[in-house]
Amino acid sequence: MSGNPGFELQAEGLRKSYGATVALEHADITLRAGEVHALLGENGAGKSTLVRILSGVTMPDAGHMILAGQTYSPRSIMEARESQVATAFQELSLVPNLSVAENVLLPGLHASRLGFVSRSAVLARGKEILSRHGLDRIDPAAEVGTLPLSERQRIEIARALENAGRVLILDEPTASLSETDWLFEQIEKARARGVAILYISHRLAEVRQICTVATVLRNGRSIATVSLSDATNDDIFEMMVGRRVEERPTRTATIASGEPRLRVSGLSGHGLKDISFEIHPGEVLGVAALEAQGQQALFRTLAGLLPVVEGKVEIDGTRATYKGPRQAMRFASGISYLPEERKVEGILPGLTAATNIVLPFLPRIARMALLGGRNEKAAAHEPADNVEMDRRYLAFNIENLSGGNQQKALMGRTLATGARTLLLFDPTRGVDVGTKQSIYAAIRRFADSGGSVLFFSSELPEIVQLSDRCLVLYGGRIFRTFSRDEINEQQLVAAMIGHAGVEAA
Amino acid sequence: MTTASEHQMEQAFNQTGDHRRSERISRETISAIAVAILCVAMLLGARFISPSLGSWSQVETVLVLGSFLIVLSFGQGLVILTGGLDLSLPAVITLGGILATNWVGATDPGAWYLLGAVLLVCAGVGLVSAIGIVWLHIPPFIMTLAMSIIVSSALLGYTRGTPRGAAPDLALALMKSKVLGMPMPILFVIGFVILGALFQSRSVPGRYLYAIGTNIHAARIAGVPVLLVQAMPYVISAVCAGLVGIMLVGYSNGATLRMGDDYLLPSIAAVVIGGSSILGGRGNFLGTVGGALLLTTLGTIITAIGLQIGWRTIIEGAVVLIALLLLREELFQKLGQYWRSSQPASESGSITRRKGT
Amino acid sequence: MSLSTSSVLPRHSTPMANAFKRFVQGGSLILVTYLALYAVYGVLEPRALQPYAIAALMNNTAPLALAAAGLTLVVINRGFDLSLAGVISICNVVLATMPMDGPGGALLSVLLCILIGGFIGAVNGVLVGWFGLQSIAATLATMIICQGIALVILDAPGGYVAEWIVYELTDRLWGIIPVSGLVVAAVVCLWLIVRRTRFGISLYAIGADEQAAALSGVNVIRVRFGAYLLAGALYGLAGFMLSAQTATGNPTSGAPLLLLSFAAVALGGTSLAGGSGGLFATVIGAATLTLLQKVLFSAGVSSFYTGMFQGIVLILAVVFSVTMSRIGARQ
Repeated sequence: MSGNPGFELQAEGLRKSYGATVALEHADITLRAGEVHALLGENGAGKSTLVRILSGVTMPDAGHMILAGQTYSPRSIMEARESQVATAFQELSLVPNLSVAENVLLPGLHASRLGFVSRSAVLARGKEILSRHGLDRIDPAAEVGTLPLSERQRIEIARALENAGRVLILDEPTASLSETDWLFEQIEKARARGVAILYISHRLAEVRQICTVATVLRNGRSIATVSLSDATNDDIFEMMVGRRVEERPTRTATIASGEPRLRVSGLSGHGLKDISFEIHPGEVLGVAALEAQGQQALFRTLAGLLPVVEGKVEIDGTRATYKGPRQAMRFASGISYLPEERKVEGILPGLTAATNIVLPFLPRIARMALLGGRNEKAAAHEPADNVEMDRRYLAFNIENLSGGNQQKALMGRTLATGARTLLLFDPTRGVDVGTKQSIYAAIRRFADSGGSVLFFSSELPEIVQLSDRCLVLYGGRIFRTFSRDEINEQQLVAAMIGHAGVEAA
Repeated sequence: MTTASEHQMEQAFNQTGDHRRSERISRETISAIAVAILCVAMLLGARFISPSLGSWSQVETVLVLGSFLIVLSFGQGLVILTGGLDLSLPAVITLGGILATNWVGATDPGAWYLLGAVLLVCAGVGLVSAIGIVWLHIPPFIMTLAMSIIVSSALLGYTRGTPRGAAPDLALALMKSKVLGMPMPILFVIGFVILGALFQSRSVPGRYLYAIGTNIHAARIAGVPVLLVQAMPYVISAVCAGLVGIMLVGYSNGATLRMGDDYLLPSIAAVVIGGSSILGGRGNFLGTVGGALLLTTLGTIITAIGLQIGWRTIIEGAVVLIALLLLREELFQKLGQYWRSSQPASESGSITRRKGT
Repeated sequence: MSLSTSSVLPRHSTPMANAFKRFVQGGSLILVTYLALYAVYGVLEPRALQPYAIAALMNNTAPLALAAAGLTLVVINRGFDLSLAGVISICNVVLATMPMDGPGGALLSVLLCILIGGFIGAVNGVLVGWFGLQSIAATLATMIICQGIALVILDAPGGYVAEWIVYELTDRLWGIIPVSGLVVAAVVCLWLIVRRTRFGISLYAIGADEQAAALSGVNVIRVRFGAYLLAGALYGLAGFMLSAQTATGNPTSGAPLLLLSFAAVALGGTSLAGGSGGLFATVIGAATLTLLQKVLFSAGVSSFYTGMFQGIVLILAVVFSVTMSRIGARQ
């Protein structure tokens, strides 16, 4: 467990592409022993790819790495671990059906010469490791799948700490932790014994608290490495997105009074607690929240993907009884959902962009019960124009379009369903600036024409810019509601973190 | 606000998108074309082995024998398109055959409408499979296998081990008559192929099948009636199998309890050889037709040159294996990359589109 | 207030549900079912508890139990393996066309069967592990090829299996303990050891979450290869035991065991989604299926309808297991 002080992990010119998509174009980074180094960048900037290369999961196409003076080119996780480089992954690499101790020891498991694994020895070793990293309270014999997410994240981190003699990589380590005391204590301990730490997080406040230097990635390139004490938040933001934050004119809303289009009262279940709100025609209601505060459950319930457990949902004054998105689109004035994960729930790979757009109303465009490439494309023209998507992309397999165009196609589809209420879950996640503007414009036009929008965004400026009102969710409840004039980033952030430090594991 | 450089990026990216699109289409069409060429080449090449082979009558034989497999693998192909697998086909073929001879042939061979009832019973079997798979969440593989033995066992009991009866008139007419010198089954199968291809590639339910096969979650959110669409191919597949049973009865003028046994593996093989993905969402019916004809041609030639049935089976399996290995996504990507890198114009420098993290 | 009150809380189950899951998957449930069924059999058939009756039942069970045990290894690993039908057929026709008599011949025969099975398993392992083919498609192809090979070796039922094998392996030791039962017991014991090795634990890990296992440093390809290899060897052994029982060769003798093996795996509570289950429960599952045939026969049900009962039992077993895991997931 002794790293020699003063060593470095130096990576230069790392490049990685998957087929035609370049995930990382040119990344340089130098981690020094006893230093906590932040890696910053927007979604899709290449952070995860860099992490995967450093941890031995993928091999770079070009570039080289030097660890403590020697060439470092791990071909597997285990080779990285032999060089004392270990990673706590964002997606958590714990196997749910094994015990905590087995997971911590994988794949070694300290088998005897014949390959036998002694259960008691595993438990003892596991316990030892857990207690070394301040997790005595976790039962090493517990099955990982039965533990709450926050505990699993801690175990993942503890395992990385155990194997990281020289370099520790923490990819979004606080994604499901609400308090950082334990984590920062462990990081401090590791730093003190001379481990080089790479800390990836999108929470700038946290980064400032624990890191000293930061490398910013943008579009697959390392833009700069800066000392955090010298850089302001604006500087960092500019490096991340490549432009200054500008104030944009906000929408002048024309919200209809009278009967609300969507009324949610006392909605509970699936982690939600007593949610009530209304949206009027012409209104854009923003939802702000940290990860997993119930926003998924709220959107999925309204979209018909989860049943209403308690409370009621009314559209145009009629109690909603729809089951599933298909019925939801057709219920009263209709409600249509733009899903969270484009790849998982959004696009239909293998089909053209046009088919992806017209799928909800296919029967309407069939001629003599037949479809052809042509009538689908023609029917997709208007939705595509609506989101400023180039018509010539319509004939392409959607898989091969850029993330931005995929998102435009999905947004176009959501609008084209004809539903008067839209549920947009993070509509601009991981897309470029141009696409964002097109999507904002489409949302505004929709609202101006009397449509109602409920949208969640992980980017606060977006909420500030687009919302007529805003809800902040915390722990499944509406923590606060902001009116148009009250919305500003500072206020939102304060509400989003609720009362920090409260956590029931 | 799209800057000029962003426009360039977008364009550069979408040019590469163009290549990939042609790859995708080629995956299915290339295999269909390759399979068709192989069929013709084999028929012509067979002349060298024996002069009696490769003649027009030989082609007719292949088409007539292939018609069973084509009809059958249409249903199987639809099931595979949704990511499932139908193992109950042999039992349902036998069901169709036995009901056609016992119910219809033995009592009133002219009662063509009763054949509709036979197909309805088969559809019922498919519906039960569909209910188990879609609503009870039993893996398709297990559910259809179970239906297979249940139906076989019921037939065994129903016939007391020895099927009786004769072929209904309509089945005989379908398989034995000629129109303008063309054997009826060939005309029938041509019509079937046209309708089948239109259904799979150009109809609304066909599109829905692709949609749920490629991403069922996304299809649900896009408003596709997923449960119905998931259930549909099993019913269609069972009707096709029942139809094959009736056709077989017309062809050989009787039914046996094992008449369907030899068709299960070829039905899957035809779909796979035709370029469909066993994972669902990819493939077209014309490719499957090519696969069915290839297998039939292969079988006829092997029989004609006197190789025993074992070799025929081995070759069939090897063809499936080769098709699986050749149609791997990875391989196509690598070929595409190789092709791109050999073209200096589209070199990577300008392509700066990122994969989501 | 908890931060993990998300709607996507995965696989968080209560101790009660867990205990029940263990009861199902550990084989206790199927064991209880088996004993109950045996009691029924005992009532219908008074001679059911005689050593020879038990031995006959064991002999009937052994091939299915071994084949299903092999399949379990693959299913735990979240795969499907159809090649078992082909492997068993090949071993059967090889033994029927090349009878090797005497204990030495029997030893050679069993080694040959295990070798054949292991080889085909290795081919599957390469196709699925290295080439990344869908297990169901790859093993379908190998099954077709194996069926063909079996037909080439022996194109119609016939031939004789060496007498020593036929008599000794279906006999009873000291008039009580059935030899076939010993073979199955030996395999189960071996498994109990294997599952506590690094390989065994990795097998379950891959079945539950392949990506997590890979990120934890488990060599997924190698473990998967091992699973198919061992499964193949077990199918070979199953072919050997089947030949001892039928005493003759049949190029399609493996086919009927395919469905029944899946039924036995499902009855044993092994989830088809991978990551759980075990060999012992599968063996009892197989025994239950064979016993069911006997019970139906004793109860006067025509043998024509055996398949119907087996199919229904299979569906019920899977529905039960699917419902269980859904309840577990919902908790």
